[in-house]
Amino acid sequence: MSILWENIVISMVAFLILFLLLSKYAFGPLFTVMEKRRELVKQQLDEAANSRTQAQAFVDEQKQALAAARKDAYDIIDQAKQTSVRQADDIIAQAKNETIRLKEEAARDIVSEKNKAVEALRNEVSSMSVAIASKILEKQVDEKDQSQLVDQYLKEVGGKQ
Amino acid sequence: MHESPIINLGGFHLDLSVVLMLFVSSLIVFVLAIVATRNLSVENPGKLQNFMEWVVEFVQGLISSTMDWKKGKAFVSLGMTLILFIFVSNLLGLPFSVVTEHHHADAKVFGQVIEATSTAHFSQLEAEGKEAHAELLWWKSPTADASVTMGLAIIIFILCHYLGLVKNTKGYFKHYVQPYVIFLPINLIETLAKPLTHGMRLYANIYAGEVLITVLLGAGFWGIPGLVAWQGFSIFIGAIQAFVFTILTMVYIGQMIETHDEH
Repeated sequence: MSILWENIVISMVAFLILFLLLSKYAFGPLFTVMEKRRELVKQQLDEAANSRTQAQAFVDEQKQALAAARKDAYDIIDQAKQTSVRQADDIIAQAKNETIRLKEEAARDIVSEKNKAVEALRNEVSSMSVAIASKILEKQVDEKDQSQLVDQYLKEVGGKQ
Repeated sequence: MHESPIINLGGFHLDLSVVLMLFVSSLIVFVLAIVATRNLSVENPGKLQNFMEWVVEFVQGLISSTMDWKKGKAFVSLGMTLILFIFVSNLLGLPFSVVTEHHHADAKVFGQVIEATSTAHFSQLEAEGKEAHAELLWWKSPTADASVTMGLAIIIFILCHYLGLVKNTKGYFKHYVQPYVIFLPINLIETLAKPLTHGMRLYANIYAGEVLITVLLGAGFWGIPGLVAWQGFSIFIGAIQAFVFTILTMVYIGQMIETHDEH
């Protein structure tokens, strides 16, 4: 083993030159790229975290919107139910009134028709009975007197009924 | 043993094999790093870029395990260069080595006499009753040379103490007399021992590995199974030593810039 100071100097110089060249042309750019990648990864992680929170916020929003819509729907159904019940009641009440009115009308009609019929029958009966009586009795009776007579009989008949 | 092809340039001893191997290691590391970082992509990294990023993360792990990450961030580049350079250097000597044998005196490279083959050296060998020849080792692991590893260790030593002085001045001078003033000599020895063990550990491991490979090659055919096993193990050793050198660097830096303010 021999140590030459010249060799020591040469190797030191060689190493320093290599170090400077590598630092400038190889490692400098390499470190820059690695740093860039680190930043890229960090940025992407941040973005992922951001979009996750955003997505979470969206989901919450959607949930709230859904809940609101559901509540609205229930309200609308409720209202519709109430309206329909009220309408049904109204319709039933109206129908009842109508029936009552129709019934009354019908009853009134019946009464008036009956009265009319009775009146007509009475007239018919009176004239017929006049004819019958004049034919049967052949008696010269004044039409006016006869009518009074028939009325009297009929009243008696009606009173007995 | 093998000699180094050293030429004398006006008093400056140039070890050609060290220069060659340092150049080859640096070139391989540089080309690897440049190819790996040529088509950088943030979202779709290639295989080599993935490998390089794995190394970066590995070194980041080393640093954050030895010091505060905020302070240690600046040393990732240093750790990367260290671990790649030492690992590649450790492996270079494994597949083969190049040795030239010289029986004639004054073999020349670039018009300069290689010292180990100089006439003076040969005549000295003959005077000692040895054969006048030299085996020159050209291709080896650069880290199998103590000068290279000591060079690396000295860089770290200087860096550590510079950082200690600039960033942690009070603590730097205080640590020499911790826990009591009487420990000053021990602390000084420790300070000097650190770079020594730092460099020598790496050198010894790799050098021993190459020596054993040479020995096993000498065993001829029967050395092949041993050679296979030892080369595999040497790859492991090379990785471990690169790791050890790098983490020790980070530990030393961490000790120096630790301010003890938190305690």
